[in-house]
Parts: sequence; C-alpha cells; structure tokens
Amino acid sequence: MQLQNSSSKPSDMVTSPVEAIQTWLVDKIAQNLSLDPKSINVSEPLTRYGLDSIDAVTLVGDLEDWLSAELPDTLFWDHSTIEKAAEYLVNECDISALNVGSSAEKVEANASTKTEEPAKKGWGGFFKGGR
Amino acid sequence: MQQLKQYWVAEALERDLGDPCNPDNMMSWKQVVDLDEREAFPHEIIEWLYNWKLSHYYVPEWVGGEFTSFEEFVSIVRVLCRRDQTAGIAFTTMFWSFLCWMAGTEEQKQKLASFIKDQNGTMCLAYSERAHGSDLIAGDVTATKVPGGYLLNGEKWPINRATISGVTFVIAKTDASAGSRGLSLFMVEKARLDAATYYNLPKTLTHGIRGSDISGIGFKDCFVPDDMLLGKEGAGLELALKGFQVTRPLCAAFSHGAADTALRTTLKFAMGRELYGKTVFDIPQPKRTLVDAFLDLLICDCETIGVARGFHVVPEQFSVWGAVVKYFSTVTLEKMIQDVSVVLGSRFYMREEHDFGIFQKQMRDNAIISMFDGSSIVNLHALILQMRSLAKHRAKRNDKMMEALQSRLEVNFSLDKPVPRYAPEKMDLFSRGADDSLQGLEIAIAQLHDLKDNSDVNPEVLDQIITFASSALEELNAQDEYLATSAFEFGHDQSPELFDLAKKYCALHAIATCLHMWIYNRKNLGEFFAKGEWLVLSLARLLRSFRPWQNLTISPVYVENVAQELVKLYNEDKMFSIVPFQLAKTETQKDQTNAASELQLQA
Repeated sequence: MQLQNSSSKPSDMVTSPVEAIQTWLVDKIAQNLSLDPKSINVSEPLTRYGLDSIDAVTLVGDLEDWLSAELPDTLFWDHSTIEKAAEYLVNECDISALNVGSSAEKVEANASTKTEEPAKKGWGGFFKGGR
Repeated sequence: MQQLKQYWVAEALERDLGDPCNPDNMMSWKQVVDLDEREAFPHEIIEWLYNWKLSHYYVPEWVGGEFTSFEEFVSIVRVLCRRDQTAGIAFTTMFWSFLCWMAGTEEQKQKLASFIKDQNGTMCLAYSERAHGSDLIAGDVTATKVPGGYLLNGEKWPINRATISGVTFVIAKTDASAGSRGLSLFMVEKARLDAATYYNLPKTLTHGIRGSDISGIGFKDCFVPDDMLLGKEGAGLELALKGFQVTRPLCAAFSHGAADTALRTTLKFAMGRELYGKTVFDIPQPKRTLVDAFLDLLICDCETIGVARGFHVVPEQFSVWGAVVKYFSTVTLEKMIQDVSVVLGSRFYMREEHDFGIFQKQMRDNAIISMFDGSSIVNLHALILQMRSLAKHRAKRNDKMMEALQSRLEVNFSLDKPVPRYAPEKMDLFSRGADDSLQGLEIAIAQLHDLKDNSDVNPEVLDQIITFASSALEELNAQDEYLATSAFEFGHDQSPELFDLAKKYCALHAIATCLHMWIYNRKNLGEFFAKGEWLVLSLARLLRSFRPWQNLTISPVYVENVAQELVKLYNEDKMFSIVPFQLAKTETQKDQTNAASELQLQA
C-alpha cells in the first residue's frame, strides 16, 4: 500500500485507523530522519530508511504519546514495516484514542492539542499549592 | 559497626582482608602492584575471594545465593576496588550472571548458581567484535540452526576474561534479515563444547588493569545445544540492552573504590609532608582540592547508592537512571583522581615509593571504567534520545502521579527502609519519560520549605540549599522549554550541543538526587551528614559548571568542617562516603586496634 495514493481513496478508507496510524508514522519518520514522506514505502522494513534499533524504541515512545496507550517497547523490532506495525496496533492493542475519533482529522486534532500543551505547566499547581 | 545492616558484609570483608598497607595481607598494595608489574592475572586473590564465599553475593537469594540488595553489592565491589580494580573487575565479571537471572529458565538458573557456588565458576560477556565496536547489529558472529542446537562461527574481541572463564555469554546472529530480532544470546558452557571447535585469542596488552585477561574467543562450526540458548531466539539485543542497564550503573562502584584510595593515599601524603613550615594539607589550595574531591565522592555516592536502591524500586526507569549514573559517576570520579594527583606531586607518577605506587595504578586502572559496557558517548546518546520524552512526561505530571512518585522516592532514598525484591522482568528498554529523581525536584523543594519549622536544621544552611535547589529547577524548566520547541532527528549524528545538554541533565539529576538523599536520611547517617554543609558545597559545585554568573560564594567555615570530617574518616579508617562504613584498621596502631576490637566483641 503506497501512502501517497491514499488521498485518491474514498473518504471512509482514508479515515480508517490503520491508515491514520500509517500516515502519522510516515510523517514522523520522514520528519525525524529528514526524508521526503513520499519516499517512504509502508511495506519496506524501517531499517531501510536508517531507523536503527534504539531509534525504533524511541519511536514507540512518540507513538504511545500520540495514542495515549502503552505499547510493547519492541513493537518495531517485531513488526518491522509501517504496514505491519499499523495492522498489529489496530488488531492487537487497545488504542481507544483512535477508535473514539471517527476521522483521521479528529485524531490529528487531538494529537496536536496534546503536543501544544505548554511544557512544565502540568504540575505547577501542585507545587505552588503545596507551598 | 555501621548501623545499616546492608553494609555489614562489606565491613566483614574489610576486616578479613586487613590493612592494605601491610604487605603480608591479601590484596595489599604491595601484592597488587607487584602483580601489575608482572601483568599477571590475580589467581591467588580470586581464589581467596571464592573461599570467602563472596561469589555467593552474586547469586540471588531466590536461586540459592546470598544476593539480596544492590546497595549491599555496591558496597562489596567498593571494598574490592579500593584495593585493586584489576582483581575487583576480574571477580565481578560474574555480574553478567544477571543475564541468566533475568532471562534463564529455572534449570539454567540452577545450573549457573551451582557453577558459581560449587565450582568457583565465572563467566564473561562476548559481545564486541574487532570490526564493529558498540554496533551489535552489525556483528559477524553467526549461530546457524542445526538439529538439536546451533553452529557458532566467528570471533569476539576484546573480551574481559574470555580465556579464564567457564561460561561465555555470546551474542550471535541467528537471522541476518530480522534486524533487531536477528540476534540471540547463548550461555555457552565451554566444558560442554568440542575443544577443537573454539579457540582463545592471546592476551591484549593494556595501559591499566594490566593483569586482566583481556583476550578473545573464536568459534569454527562450534556446536552449542539448544539448552544453551538464553531466552527466545531473536531476544539477544533486547537482553543485551537490559543487561547493560544492570551492569552500567554498577560500574560506578568500581570507580568509587579507586577514587577512595586515590584520595586516601594523597591525604596521607598531604598530612605527613611538611613544606614551608606547615603540612601540605594546611596550605589552602591543596586542602581545597582534597575537600572538593571528597565532595565529588559524596555527590557520586548519592547517585550510586540511589541507583543501587532504585533497581528495587523503579527498574522500569533504568534506561535513564542507568545511563545517568554510568556517565556521571564514572566520569566525575575519573576527573577527581586527576584533580588530586597534583597534591601528590611527582609521586603520583611513580610506580613505587609512596604506598607502593598504588596511586598511579589506581589511576591507570580506573581510566577504563567510563568506557566499560558502553562509553560516555553511548550513554549520553541514550539520554539524548530520551530527553524529549522526559520533558513531555514532566509536563504531564499531576497530583496523583506526584503522590505516587513521592512514595517511591521515600522507599528509594530512605536507607533505613527495606527495598522490595529486585524484579528483573520489570526492566524496560525505555522509561516512557519517567525519571523519579529529577521529576521529584519540586517535591524536594517543598520538603525543604517544610524543614524551616524544624529546629535542628541551621536556617542559614537550609536557605542556601533552597536557593540552589530553586536554581536547579529554573535550569530544568528552561531546558524542558528548549526541548519542547527544538527539532529532533534520529540517528547517530546528534549535535555536540545536545551532548552538552545531556551532560547538564546529568548534573541536574545529581542535584536532585543529593537533595533526596539528604532529606530522607538526616536521622540515619550521622551528624556531619545531617548538618548539610557538605550539601551546600556540593550543590554549589554542581551549579558552577552551568551557572557561572550566579553568586556561589561558599563559607570557609563549611569548607573547614568538611576538611575536618575528611581527616576524621581517614583517622578512623572509614570509607569516604555518605555511609562511612568501617574499613580494615590501619595496622600501625595495631595494639590499640586489637584492644578496641576485643572490647567491641565483649560488648
């Protein structure tokens, strides 16, 4: 499955959880490895793009953040392509954050809200309150 | 005797080894320097340690050994390494057994336990290859599946104790196309191999730990049965990385031993040598150098003892804490030894004379520790990859998480509290952004404010501690803000600036850890520790590297009090540590010592 083709697909296909995850992974990997997203084929092993073992573990952390779910730290070692990893996530993991949103856009919106949350504000209240 | 019972084994070992200045004692300076001169493996020492049954402390209680606590383990390794890192390291390659305690079957565990306890057996770790260094995935050693087992082929080098060991943990490629799942780990028992199918490489000559068996092992169609596979096929890299999370922070214990001796022998010289009408120790500059060295030891102690207890409390956070301690404690103590060398003058360079030339030997030996099991660069790189997630996690903390964190900190840092049994299965490849010590900095600051109502704390000391702790928090917040807005790339081409940021993360971590250690142990570790002047000086020392503009003027009275404590510990033959446990008594005061210990026994 080539990701760049996804825009030409019917909208219900575009918004499937598998595709939402694939899109997110392609973007993330392209961004963190300085690659053109179009050059990433979801059925190629990730190591082909220069993602080494430890980077792959780091990527699980980013994905956990986005999905608000705890995932196996060796996810990309065991499912070495974007396609396989996305399928595994949808079929085997509790990723309710994705299922709650009915469209990919909604998931993206949730995700960006989270990342834009200013750093260190989370617990400022506790500290000040405790004083 | 130290009131904390986790230090009793170390004290007993000290008593039985005796004063290292007496050439007749096992592991004396003279013996270990002689062995070093001859580049000879310390067989006699190792045998003595087995006969003492020290090896039992490398085997967990739940498989029939005596190991219960990493805090105790660290204290034992310090005792060995203050005398001789060469022998201490040679004996402690046994800590690779944790790979088996972590991933072995019940049968494999029992077998290894019996090998260690009943056959005085030991093991080595065969990961490195000549052409590939830290790049394990690129390794060329293969394990090809055949009926009933695997055929090993290829060569591992440089491997500590590759030749003088009965078990070799070998990582080998079982599937060239499976990437991170292509490696498997084997617990190879040499006695069960066809001797014609493996060979050892000759000893490699080294700058320090010269008596060590740094060699290699090669395999030619070497058949290893299925029961030597550790964990599942393909689990090799995962186990290797988790194994490093155990051994990396423990390497700090090697450094603490060497650093204690470097400081002790230099202090002895400084107090005995008269120049310009006074002792070297009474001249301000050398005195400050020695005080700073003592502070470095105390700072690293908070990290090293903290992390040792952390194994039992937060094993899932060791991708962070393990890397911090492996970098911070070993590099700080390496530099500390260099710093004190100037006080010893030209004698630091002599392979005889003052204390049999032990200083130069410890300095040479210790220089490898920051490289062991992952260099400083490898550890800082591991932190760089996790810093964004640490910052994100920190931003997400809420009251409930902080309450849980605070209760973990209390168990982790209260040395008088028992720790839960170590659960190796809880180790994770990444901490998911959690790092209790640094993420509990605000808790520590709140607790410091609460101490203002406490009459047994000097308000001036407390104010300074609070000021410095708040400075650290400012730095941490600024660092997190920077990380939230900066771009990030995977890979090995991380910028030197990011490495500096990772170093700063370690220094901030050390500040937080010192604070927790003080807050939770003011009633446990004696008057000097409780007074907190050492903490003021330590925090100033840590902040100075990245806040040179801040007013970090320190009281000369505090410096003098720390100097007096240093001398006191020296005179009483106690470890330079936040837990100054009893070392072997100096034998020049033999008569008094014997009398004193008899009295103790009667009492």
